[in-house]
Amino acid sequence: MRGPPQSAGVAGALRAWAGFAVLVGAQFGVRPLIAGRATVDFAVIAVLFSAVRLRPGVAAVVGFLTGLALDALSPGGFGASALVLTVLAFSASWLKAVFFADHVALTGLFVFSAKWLFDVAMALLTGVGSGASMLVALLVWSPLSAALTAVVGVLLLVVFRPLYRPHSL
Amino acid sequence: MAAGLRATVLAPLVNLEARSAGIRAAITARNDLLATRGRAVADTLSLRAISDENTTLRQLLGLSARLQEGFVPAEVLPARGPEEFTLNVTAGSRVGVQPFLPVVTADGLVGMVETVDQASSTVITWAHPDFRVSAMSVDQDAFGIVQPHLAAGAERWLLEMRGVPFRAKLDTGTLIVSSGLGATYPRGIPVGTVIGELSTPEKWARTYLLKPAVLPENIGPVLVLLPGRGDRGVNGVWTSVAAADSAARAVAASGDSLARTAAFDELTARRAALDSLLADSLSRADTIGGGLTSRSAAAADSIRRDSLRREVTRRDSVRRDNDRRETGRRDAVRSRPPVRGR
Repeated sequence: MRGPPQSAGVAGALRAWAGFAVLVGAQFGVRPLIAGRATVDFAVIAVLFSAVRLRPGVAAVVGFLTGLALDALSPGGFGASALVLTVLAFSASWLKAVFFADHVALTGLFVFSAKWLFDVAMALLTGVGSGASMLVALLVWSPLSAALTAVVGVLLLVVFRPLYRPHSL
Repeated sequence: MAAGLRATVLAPLVNLEARSAGIRAAITARNDLLATRGRAVADTLSLRAISDENTTLRQLLGLSARLQEGFVPAEVLPARGPEEFTLNVTAGSRVGVQPFLPVVTADGLVGMVETVDQASSTVITWAHPDFRVSAMSVDQDAFGIVQPHLAAGAERWLLEMRGVPFRAKLDTGTLIVSSGLGATYPRGIPVGTVIGELSTPEKWARTYLLKPAVLPENIGPVLVLLPGRGDRGVNGVWTSVAAADSAARAVAASGDSLARTAAFDELTARRAALDSLLADSLSRADTIGGGLTSRSAAAADSIRRDSLRREVTRRDSVRRDNDRRETGRRDAVRSRPPVRGR
């Protein structure tokens, strides 16, 4: 009686981790191809989509590791991404009952907010830019990036539903 | 720590990112290359336009130098209305422009000033239905009235010369210039060239189709001939250009013939040297073999004589050719009589 549900759970977990790996790969393989100041952050999508399936503690670890990978490739602000993504992943996992009611629009809003908060936190932690340029970056380019990330997140959720549906692992 | 992570766990991701960055750089470089090519093409096109304008201005400068005085230069203003047979030019009564003054370019007749205000004038071009000019062939054999060819399509941009006496037969390519009759256009301004005869019901006179001397797309800066200049005439201003061209061609051709003569002299000297070598070797052979000295000397002499005869013949034929060519050119220049004054 417990065999089929267990195997289904393992398959779901494998699909989820495959989806996560694809998104992390896209962060390093696709993002550099996209020019412009407003870009898609696949790492944030990966962390959020995995966090809603995990318990807050595990989600925080996933966020931390992903952030560490990002930091390793941009050593100027080493630790900032790890810290911010840990907090984001923990919060997403904790708030999943509120925001992830399998609703596409809410998911988009959640991704948008998370990405914007990520950019704000990174700007404050790394101290990149100051004054007007920082304001422009946070009030113009960050929302645009967040919107783009949200659109891509929603599209992924709709098109690749088996990989990214928000069920617990 | 970051370096350690990049070298171990994150090595595949680092490679992936580096490859993507390389692809991105290649795409950017290609876009830059395309943009550079586009700029190069645009520069080439603008360079061609500048070169054309430069040529036009040089020609106009030459015309101004030949006219010396009594004209006003003017720029053609962009057309504002649908009227395609008139031009607005940037010269008005302030600089002495009056109605009915002829407007010319380095190629020939453009038209006539119709209305004038202080700073600009309206010019009717040769394509205007009201345009008429008394004209003649450049050898003054045939006179007639040139007017626009009011046909449909591309032929609308041709001229026709009407009322040419039946006895006057014009060949294709004959230059038609203004005759000076009628007091508007001075004698000698090129109007067009004959491209064929039109069949009309008028059997007592001929009508010829002309290609205009000034093409509509080539009308750039123009000169307005002022009244005094028109009265003094423009004889030789345009026709001397053709004469100068033919003179320049003759000079170039004579330069060619001089070069040919120099090359021929060099060849003759080489042949003479070879002949003397041959004669020497023959005489040496006679001395060794004996008994053939007089024959070989005679042979050497005959060879020398032959070669000299050949040289003389060749030199004569070359001279004859050159003379014939020069005479032909001089005849061609002579066969274009200068246009007489009014």
